Amino acid sequence: MTQALSERRPQVPWFVSFLGRRLAWALITLFIFLTAVFFFMQIWVPYSWATQFMQGGFGAFDAARRAAGLDRPLPEQYAEFMVGLVQGDLGTSFNGGEVIDIIREALPVTLTVFIAGTAIGWIAGELLGRFGSWNRGPFSGSVMATLGVLSATIFPPFLVFLLVHWLREPLLAFREVLGLPTDSLDLWRGAVTGEPGALQPGDVRWFVALSLTAAVVAALIVRSYARRHQLPLVEGLALPGMVVAMGLGIWLSGLGPHAVDLLYRVDISVSTGRGSPALAMFGVVLISFGQVMLLMRAGMDAERSEDYVLTGRAKGLSERAVRDRHVARNVISPVLAGSFLTFPTVLAGMIIVEFELEMRGLSRVLFDAIEFQDIPVIMGVMVVLGLMGVGFRLVTDVTIAALDPRQRRGRA
Amino acid sequence: MTALAERQAVEVGPPQRRGVRFIVSHPKVLAGIGILTLFAFLAVAQPLLEATVWARQPQLYDAEFGFDSSIAHPSAPSAAHWLGTSSLGRDVFAMLLHATRPTLLVALSAALSIGVVSVLFGSIAAFRRGWADGFISHLSDAMVLLPAMLAVFVLGISRSDEEFGALHVGLTFGVLYGLGPATATVRAAAMTVVAKPFMDAARVAGGGGFWIVSRHVLPHLYPHAAVQAMIGATGAIIADAFLSFRSAVGEDVGFGQMVYDGLVWSEFLAGIAATPWWIMLAGAGGITLLAAAFYLVGVGLREALDPRSEHHERS
Repeated sequence: MTQALSERRPQVPWFVSFLGRRLAWALITLFIFLTAVFFFMQIWVPYSWATQFMQGGFGAFDAARRAAGLDRPLPEQYAEFMVGLVQGDLGTSFNGGEVIDIIREALPVTLTVFIAGTAIGWIAGELLGRFGSWNRGPFSGSVMATLGVLSATIFPPFLVFLLVHWLREPLLAFREVLGLPTDSLDLWRGAVTGEPGALQPGDVRWFVALSLTAAVVAALIVRSYARRHQLPLVEGLALPGMVVAMGLGIWLSGLGPHAVDLLYRVDISVSTGRGSPALAMFGVVLISFGQVMLLMRAGMDAERSEDYVLTGRAKGLSERAVRDRHVARNVISPVLAGSFLTFPTVLAGMIIVEFELEMRGLSRVLFDAIEFQDIPVIMGVMVVLGLMGVGFRLVTDVTIAALDPRQRRGRA
Repeated sequence: MTALAERQAVEVGPPQRRGVRFIVSHPKVLAGIGILTLFAFLAVAQPLLEATVWARQPQLYDAEFGFDSSIAHPSAPSAAHWLGTSSLGRDVFAMLLHATRPTLLVALSAALSIGVVSVLFGSIAAFRRGWADGFISHLSDAMVLLPAMLAVFVLGISRSDEEFGALHVGLTFGVLYGLGPATATVRAAAMTVVAKPFMDAARVAGGGGFWIVSRHVLPHLYPHAAVQAMIGATGAIIADAFLSFRSAVGEDVGFGQMVYDGLVWSEFLAGIAATPWWIMLAGAGGITLLAAAFYLVGVGLREALDPRSEHHERS
């Protein structure tokens, strides 16, 4: 029967149609999101760039409005905004610069902090929830609940104060241990001013991020191949081996030390300051792991009373196999889905952490723009955050579908 | 939220006819209610203290304009000032009491609006289906991308309390969060409810749309909305605290402003005197405890409502 079916229909890999559906979903959602952002900023926000000229009388106010193009009808401005976005143009800041340039300058720091921070936070929360549910001490439940709730409710500026107070010195000491080069700033300045097309810090971060991603994907493919062909040793070593090899390669190529050195830099032009990307990442990990841990633990606790757990044990499976192969695998996808709903909270927390660490990332751009009522810049930042969210959501969806075949079909 | 949140909603399951006592007996819910009771007590304690203990020296314990001229400020906790004094010489304990009421207002208004918005849109989407559902589910997906906290910052930073006060923060946050994650979750729960056989029975019995929704759909959605309202209120509290932190000027008293005071003075006094931990801890502790109370009730409720949770086996 299955043979007959597969002969009649040409085999399309599941992820082609799945990705197609998800991308269509992403486009519609983005359209609604952008519309919502536009009307929020134009209607709900009571001030505009022209408000500051109110004191000069209505003549000055009207002139400023006209100069900024704010007196045109709303549909016209909306159409211009949307058409501009499609062309990759985010408009012009009221201070003169192109919004896209301002954001391009600030984005690498924020993106590094956000991706690394949430990824590490998620993995830490998942592991803590998984082990905490299985190995119970007398107090593990309440200790974990307290930690999780603290992580979800701590006031980010206070967290930043604690981080700077306690972690800045050890981090700097660790820098000495690693023996990082101190000339990477000069190196990149030279690259920027010197040869055109030379390596720039942003490119290095991208190189590291992309090559690590490629390594992990390759390791996953090797792993699934090994599993299909019953090669347990290859299967177990594929992922850690790949990551270690990749990291070693980057380090030995001389890029690694310079890239890690960048984690200590607030900004390419300012080498002093309270924060560094490494510190901010740590902050994001601390505010994002708690919710995942609580979700994971609750899910594992509920799942362990299911019948198949008993079956697995009766069959003689090791506790580890029951926990990791059966229970955790059932729990992960609802936890992933649930943790996506915490995206806005974590993102806002990251923005505050980054801002309080005085880093020159998106948060600095955003808060400066709010102060100057520079609406095009605020909108630009919101658009970029929305794009980050959609990307994050797509990654979540693909991960869930990869883990759970039942999720591959169904409505988009 | 479609397939994603549906799985999430299944985790919560239908409301059990176990009653309030069952839910309240969940340890997390219990802890949350305990902390909330403490704050409710703090909110009413100020007039009582002013009438009794502080009655002899009201100018010392005024949260906004109080000043103790007999000591240097900021001073550490003492018998006269239980939580010490701020850099301006105000009594930190009085400030803590003073800041509790507006923060509670933020949290409650946010929770209420999240509940109303999510139940409204979730039930309409599930009951009307078709284009209404398509629109609402896409809208909620889009609003998840727009952090309500950042929207509050855009509206509230560098504007005074008269222009954008506690109620504004709560309602703005509540509506935006309610349209986003909360509607996504409640809609998914509503979808599983309207697929149940008793819905057909209600239709066969000749019930109108409003009657069916209010009698047979909404009661199943309230617990889900309550979970979302409680967890969402956490964000509103932190957003409000950050507004108070950022615009920490003049006589305004807020949890965030207390943290700011402590931060600035710890930098100012670095190497000269000890960090004024008391004022920072009072502010940050107020924020985190109050937010944690709401969060605990929300998370506990979610766990208590899961028909597979151990809480059910124990009771």
